[in-house]
Amino acid sequence: MLSARERAQIAQVWDLIAGHEAQFGAELLLRLFTVYPSTKVYFPHLSACQDATQLLSHGQRMLAAVGAAVQHMDHLRAALSPLADLHALVLRVDPANFPLLIQCFHVVLASHLQDEFTVEMQAAWDKFLTGVAVVLTEKYR
Amino acid sequence: MGMKGEYYPGKLIGKVLKIFCISNFVSDMVSFHRLLVVYPWTQRFFDSFGNLSSPSAILGNPKVKAHGKKVLTSFGEAIKNMDNLKTAFAKLSELHCDKLHVDPENFKLLGNVLVCVLAHNFGKEFTPQVQAAYQKVVAGVANALAHKYH
Repeated sequence: MLSARERAQIAQVWDLIAGHEAQFGAELLLRLFTVYPSTKVYFPHLSACQDATQLLSHGQRMLAAVGAAVQHMDHLRAALSPLADLHALVLRVDPANFPLLIQCFHVVLASHLQDEFTVEMQAAWDKFLTGVAVVLTEKYR
Repeated sequence: MGMKGEYYPGKLIGKVLKIFCISNFVSDMVSFHRLLVVYPWTQRFFDSFGNLSSPSAILGNPKVKAHGKKVLTSFGEAIKNMDNLKTAFAKLSELHCDKLHVDPENFKLLGNVLVCVLAHNFGKEFTPQVQAAYQKVVAGVANALAHKYH
């Protein structure tokens, strides 16, 4: 359950990301692969060649999905259903990996946005992304 | 940046930590406050700290600040004892298990929050490689602190 204040903070965070989806998304993936090398198993082609164009493209796609989640934060299950199916049937990313991605996301935002990304915004963003991760792994069994 | 084995943890951490010496910005280090706000269930260990009812109350709380400083000083010790973390933190580990009854999961949370604070302070300089080095340090400290649990 998100409070009105949390909803506003999540929207604020997204406003800071919007327009930079490709750049932030690519850096997010790069940090994930560098800090947590075991996550590369889920991105065999992407992590092997580390091609900037592919990272930007995939990063863009991932953050666009996050943006869609922000637009529908009150009905995530419905909005993310196709992505949940994808993760359950095809990708099957172990749920333990989502906190790793979320940590890297916080670091991307903290390092780029610094004072604009406040402690309260981080709290709301963490709660929101954790909720997204729950929905994406809900159909696993 | 390459991913084919150019990353040697031991060498890189030493170099990185000289640049990002934690003691250089103790006054800005509000990791403890951040821990209590972002992961509010961690407040369960600090009933005696007084007012933790809001982010601003936590930020202004003198006991939070004092404890944060103590924790940061410990991290500083970790950097000096990178090759011997388990020994260096043995007593603290026993304390957290036997007296303080802290779930070791909290050490990981604090470590992650510390990394976020470093990212906030160093901005673009906090590259993926630097993050990786620091995540290894905080993971090492968390393991060392959990080591004596029984």
